[in-house]
Amino acid sequence: MMERKVVEKEISIGPVHPALIEPYRIRLFVNDEIVEDCEININMAYRGIERLLEGLPVEKALLITERVCGICSNVHTWNSVRVVEAGLRIEVPDRANYIRVLINEIQRIASHLIFFGHAFEVLGHETFAMRSFLLREVFMDLMAYIGGNRVMPAVPVIGGIRPRADLTDSLKRVISERINDFEKKYREYVERILADSMIMSRLTGVGLLSKEDAIKYHATGPNGRASGWNYDIRTLMHEYEPFDFEVIVLNEGDNKARVVQRALEVFECLKIIRQILKNLPEGPIVNRDWIPGKMNYTISYFEAFRGELMHSCALDSQGLIRGYKIRTPTPTNLAAMERACVGDHITDAILTIASCDPCLTCCTRVEVINFDESKTMTVMDIMKKYGRR
Amino acid sequence: MGLKAIARKNAIHAMLVYTGGCNGCDIEVVNAIFSPRYDIEQYRVLITWNPREADVLIVTGCVTWQMVEPLKKLYSLIPDPKGVVAVGACAINGNVYKNMVGDIGVNEEVFAPVDNIIPVDVKVPGCAPRPEDIIMGAVKAVPKLMEAP
Amino acid sequence: MELLITSLIAAIISIPYSLIIPGIERKIQARIQQRIGPPILTPGFWAVLKFYYKKDVEPIAFLSRFYKSLIWLGIFIVLFLLFFSMPSWWNILGWASILGLVGLLKLEESLYVFMGAQSQSFLSTTMPVPDLAKGAKGIGIHREFLEQHSAERAIKMMAVGSLPLYIALLVPFAIAKSAMISEVVRVQNPGFFSLAFSLPSNPILFTVPGFLATIVYFIGYVILLNEKPFSILKAKIDVIEGGVLEYAAKLRAGYYIMRNLLLFVLSSIFVTLFLGIPFDPLKPFYLIFNIILSLIMPIALSILVAFSPILTFRQIYPSAVGLSVLGALALIISILGV
Ligand code: SF4
Repeated sequence: MMERKVVEKEISIGPVHPALIEPYRIRLFVNDEIVEDCEININMAYRGIERLLEGLPVEKALLITERVCGICSNVHTWNSVRVVEAGLRIEVPDRANYIRVLINEIQRIASHLIFFGHAFEVLGHETFAMRSFLLREVFMDLMAYIGGNRVMPAVPVIGGIRPRADLTDSLKRVISERINDFEKKYREYVERILADSMIMSRLTGVGLLSKEDAIKYHATGPNGRASGWNYDIRTLMHEYEPFDFEVIVLNEGDNKARVVQRALEVFECLKIIRQILKNLPEGPIVNRDWIPGKMNYTISYFEAFRGELMHSCALDSQGLIRGYKIRTPTPTNLAAMERACVGDHITDAILTIASCDPCLTCCTRVEVINFDESKTMTVMDIMKKYGRR
Repeated sequence: MGLKAIARKNAIHAMLVYTGGCNGCDIEVVNAIFSPRYDIEQYRVLITWNPREADVLIVTGCVTWQMVEPLKKLYSLIPDPKGVVAVGACAINGNVYKNMVGDIGVNEEVFAPVDNIIPVDVKVPGCAPRPEDIIMGAVKAVPKLMEAP
Repeated sequence: MELLITSLIAAIISIPYSLIIPGIERKIQARIQQRIGPPILTPGFWAVLKFYYKKDVEPIAFLSRFYKSLIWLGIFIVLFLLFFSMPSWWNILGWASILGLVGLLKLEESLYVFMGAQSQSFLSTTMPVPDLAKGAKGIGIHREFLEQHSAERAIKMMAVGSLPLYIALLVPFAIAKSAMISEVVRVQNPGFFSLAFSLPSNPILFTVPGFLATIVYFIGYVILLNEKPFSILKAKIDVIEGGVLEYAAKLRAGYYIMRNLLLFVLSSIFVTLFLGIPFDPLKPFYLIFNIILSLIMPIALSILVAFSPILTFRQIYPSAVGLSVLGALALIISILGV
């Protein structure tokens, strides 16, 4: 049993607040400046995606799954496609797989650069935040060239990729030029961050998350890897088999480790992109030879940019979706962060929460609270009972 | 053009409220603000996080039911004259969340068009709109501010 | 009579002039960040005019009358700070001395405590979202407004943060061996009292204690203005803007004026005390030199702001103590060395 600490006051932040651009609410229970306990309410962006998907034709569903999250749109599209492909045993051509990996890694870099932007903004360092958004433009452009939209490239379709997203030779050349240029600038940027003593004094030793805690709370992705937990689903996925990359694992588990881990991971992504450009196989890009039909409940695990992502669904005999389920990495990551930010200053605690790269739009769904009389209540019930305030 | 209109034209404080939806529009707005490539400040739009300081409210996302009240309250706190820019398909018509429903028919979680909740002056379509469009939207709200008494 | 006229001229010159400073600051930061940035008049001058033309709204505050009056109080304090450093005020009672300056600065700082205690912005506790019944981690705990937390931080900053500035302020007076500003100027610039214009012959800035004190003064300046590395009491990421959150329309214009005026006045006082060129509306050469030289501090400040994150109290306590020690060292040298 955890001993209940005496808490002086509560500070609640959000959902409209500069530090958390997305709508969620942080309640910090503090003594003076020190956080004793933390609670994050994340259901403000709930829009019932899993219910919406019920009864839609599979191909139409891609439009919605892509809009689960705008930062990692490709992850959700690809994973929902993977579910259907695994369930209906659809062969995917090699070239399509390569291009899917390409767009995924491009978006992974863009997502990590958003993380830097957000983390440095929370740190109060505008110059580095802006610099990271400037660097990110390279990848937004590439996404627009490949998919036609900066945010929603919509590359994977069931059986392959969209014909528009095929790589031409000139596009390949553009990509390799841009990433070479980017790598030079990015290396400089990372070196400047690591050499800045003021930033490092804010980051080191704050927000410690031990390996045991990371495993216990299931903090997957970069957060777990920054705590010394070697867990990356990319190593288990057949799409990533042809490529050679390292999984970056750091042992410190503090905010600095979480920043550095992502900084290094970007270099691995660049490595993968180079390999794709070099040995992209020729051949068809889409396999149209399938019909939607009855499919049993299938699960697909995937390494999203923030951790482990699960999509699962079944199809009925007309090919309509039944029982779609999404489990995104952020809820578990946030639970770990609630733990990690205890014992720090308030300003540091918010940095810790930002350093797990929260992306809440995807993770909010049904919220059920268990009361003593073992009655379940949804948020709506609670609001009816207690009122808004 | 009096001094009043010139002053209003030359300093516009914009505030971003994000009310659900995916993150796309949100990041693009932040991009328009923070990326030196777009740099909204050179068009005299300054960014603020305080409704008391704001002139233009940039609303993104399909309004989920928990965000309805905060949005209304926020709007009421902005001193007149004020403008509202709805950014993205979500804020304009609810996008897929409202219009592409499966078996349930009507999605009750989403109160989408922002128009239903607060008056909107400028609409920026797109999913997600480009940062250029967002900047243009924010600047388009200016004539209304200038003409206000 | 002369007193009134000079004061009026000083106010008329300094207020519009101080309003271009934020524009210059913003422009420099923007250049460092590789972007174009806003036009120079936008963040200060036009913003103030625009806020002035907005419709007034009642702030949500505990005692809203008192809350509103704090802004005018602040502007007057800063104006008097400027007046006290002006030659025409030098022989009025003992105000134009170290005591007058430090007293007013202390008052100015304490304004943030009052503001924070009063303001009740809806951005924190009163946000209408259903969160009370959930979690049940801390039922019945006092829920604090962000501004109140900011006020608590302001008290801490008053206790430790402002020490360096006061110690640095003491150094020129120690060198002049007097508590009056007129003596400080006389030591550095004997020609001031007779000639229409004379460059200071031996400015304190270029002596060893003077130089050390300048560094300390600069950091103290940053702390007093709550700018980036020491902006914990209005850190954007947790308390947003602190106590000034609820000021709207005309009051916000007043807040802008107050802050920018303080930015200008403190650096003008620096030029008076460390270079011996006072802000004197009756002697235009000195006036022009003073206001041009007082741009140096805001420019240095904006460069510092562009390259530094927010420090928490973990870092502020040691750095404030270290700077105070440096200032004390300068003080000792200045007392022993002369
Ligand atoms: S309009 Fe599109 S990009 Fe914008 S929030 Fe909605 S789904 Fe996301």
